Amino acid sequence: MPETLDPSAPRSWRARLQDSAVYRSIVRTPPLDSPRGRAQRAFGNVFLHLYPVRVPRALLRFRSTYRLGFISAVLYAILFITGVYLMFFYTPAVSMAYGDMQQLRSQVGFGQLIRNVHRWGAHLMVLAVVFHLVRVFVHGAYKAPRQFNWVIGVGLLLVTLAYSFTGYLLPWDQLAYWAVTVGSDLVQYAPGVGGWLRNFLLGGSTIGQSALLRFYVIHVAVLTMAFFLLMAVHLWRVRKDGLAVGDADHAHDVTERALDVARRAATTTVGVGVAPIVPADAHWLNDGRRVLGVVDTEEGPGHVRNPDDEVFAWPHLLIRHQVVALVVCAVVLGMGILWEAPLRELANPNLTPEPAKAPWYFVGLQELLAHFDPLVAGVLAPAMLVLGLVVLPYADRNPSRRAEHRRVGLTLFWILFGALAVLTVIGALFRGPGWAFVLPWEHLYFEP
Amino acid sequence: MSPTRREMLEAGWKVGSGLLVAAAGWTTFEALKPLANVSGGGLLPLLAPEAYPEGSATFVREGRFFVTRAKGELFAVSQKCPHLGCAVPFCEGSGRFECPCHGSVYNLAGEWISGPAPRGMDKHPLQIAEGRVIVNTAVLEQGAPLGSRQFDTDARGGSCAPAAEG
Repeated sequence: MPETLDPSAPRSWRARLQDSAVYRSIVRTPPLDSPRGRAQRAFGNVFLHLYPVRVPRALLRFRSTYRLGFISAVLYAILFITGVYLMFFYTPAVSMAYGDMQQLRSQVGFGQLIRNVHRWGAHLMVLAVVFHLVRVFVHGAYKAPRQFNWVIGVGLLLVTLAYSFTGYLLPWDQLAYWAVTVGSDLVQYAPGVGGWLRNFLLGGSTIGQSALLRFYVIHVAVLTMAFFLLMAVHLWRVRKDGLAVGDADHAHDVTERALDVARRAATTTVGVGVAPIVPADAHWLNDGRRVLGVVDTEEGPGHVRNPDDEVFAWPHLLIRHQVVALVVCAVVLGMGILWEAPLRELANPNLTPEPAKAPWYFVGLQELLAHFDPLVAGVLAPAMLVLGLVVLPYADRNPSRRAEHRRVGLTLFWILFGALAVLTVIGALFRGPGWAFVLPWEHLYFEP
Repeated sequence: MSPTRREMLEAGWKVGSGLLVAAAGWTTFEALKPLANVSGGGLLPLLAPEAYPEGSATFVREGRFFVTRAKGELFAVSQKCPHLGCAVPFCEGSGRFECPCHGSVYNLAGEWISGPAPRGMDKHPLQIAEGRVIVNTAVLEQGAPLGSRQFDTDARGGSCAPAAEG
């Protein structure tokens, strides 16, 4: 805001607008020439409230987080908006759905582009969320006090997969019908309740009208509610637990190490959903000496801020996020212009196309199914994987976040991740009709 | 000692909330459980038995099953693969059912020969009345367990799918 010293000088229309009572009732703009004013600008704004007023300087480096969580959120926003567009032209009825897709393609302005962007955005979001998980694991950012937020994140991964899977059925073409047939029949192998659970999900024993409607309602309403609930907690916990990036660099300075000792001694209960309880006197070491110069922060237990190494989130972090968001939009839009989302023939329950593959992120499971008993490959393996992810931050008692202290954990993680990736690549690219091995450069059977 | 007013109220809101959650769960379950008549089906009269010669598999679109004859007996074999629900086509070349999804192979009677399926193909009860084949599509009997084959016939020729592993 330009300041003029001479009160009689003519003032710009902008300055007069910003001085008006109406404007000041909407936007409260403290002067930006002091740290206090800048801080007020941030926490006086409901949207900027998602960000801390100040963030660790290290966060400005792209490689601190690769912005993967933010990229996932941007992709979700793109999917939300394009999804609302699609809802205007889509009827969740077996007799209508496929015709609506064709109409969207041929008659609705930019209809095909919006569908393409929704499709590619969905695939990218699965990737971004998975890479976000990998990044958080590798940086050890799931360790105390952030264990519970990791669990919330696993929930968000499952919601993302459920979004993608339910959305897959909606075009009601051969690809949709058979991918979902194979995917939902996996549930049947859950011991005891499998068959019942599958019928409950589909609203009958076969994929028909009730399954389409159920998937649609779950896709647009149920998962959206779940997503916003989990995201609210996820972001809230990021704020309250503090940014892991901020304490990574000085986790091993003397104060931190002393605090770690005190914390471990004082931690009474660690259970699912409960952060370590640090009593108010946590600054007393076991031998009676007191750690000086450390005060409890509002960030919750275990997080120590370093105010000398912080910058204002607005504008330093926001401008970076804005650039990332623009790049993500450009990439998704470019993909939507370059590649069409597939639409095969109308779903035909009597004819399985060859090969019938699940969506790519489940194709690793399908590959596993070709080698092992369905109960093991279709139910136990994915259940163990999810359970393992949930339990991981509580089972991992090693407080260090440094790679050289976590050789075993990191090695196990990369082996597991590599195995999943190999299974997925084989299933997606190297399998043809009858699930026979086919070299992708000879014939590619891959439907995105 | 009888509970105090405060204790009653404290227990009351917890019990009340619990009941509300239980009611919501019950409502959701009752509303969303599959309708009983969704699978439907009933007695479906077909052609005379002579229309289904030995070694043939005739697809019946209305009921999504095949009428087959192996070693003189008639079967109504459901098209749905017991492995993961793919529609299994009949391969005229080999005279067998060959699933395109994961390569399970069954004989004309729907009995399991190879592949990852957990059992043979499911069947509908079939009877002959008034000179016609009648299939009860309301009932689906689970396929025979692995390795119990009574109606095996030799493969006629080459398989329809390229060499499938597992």
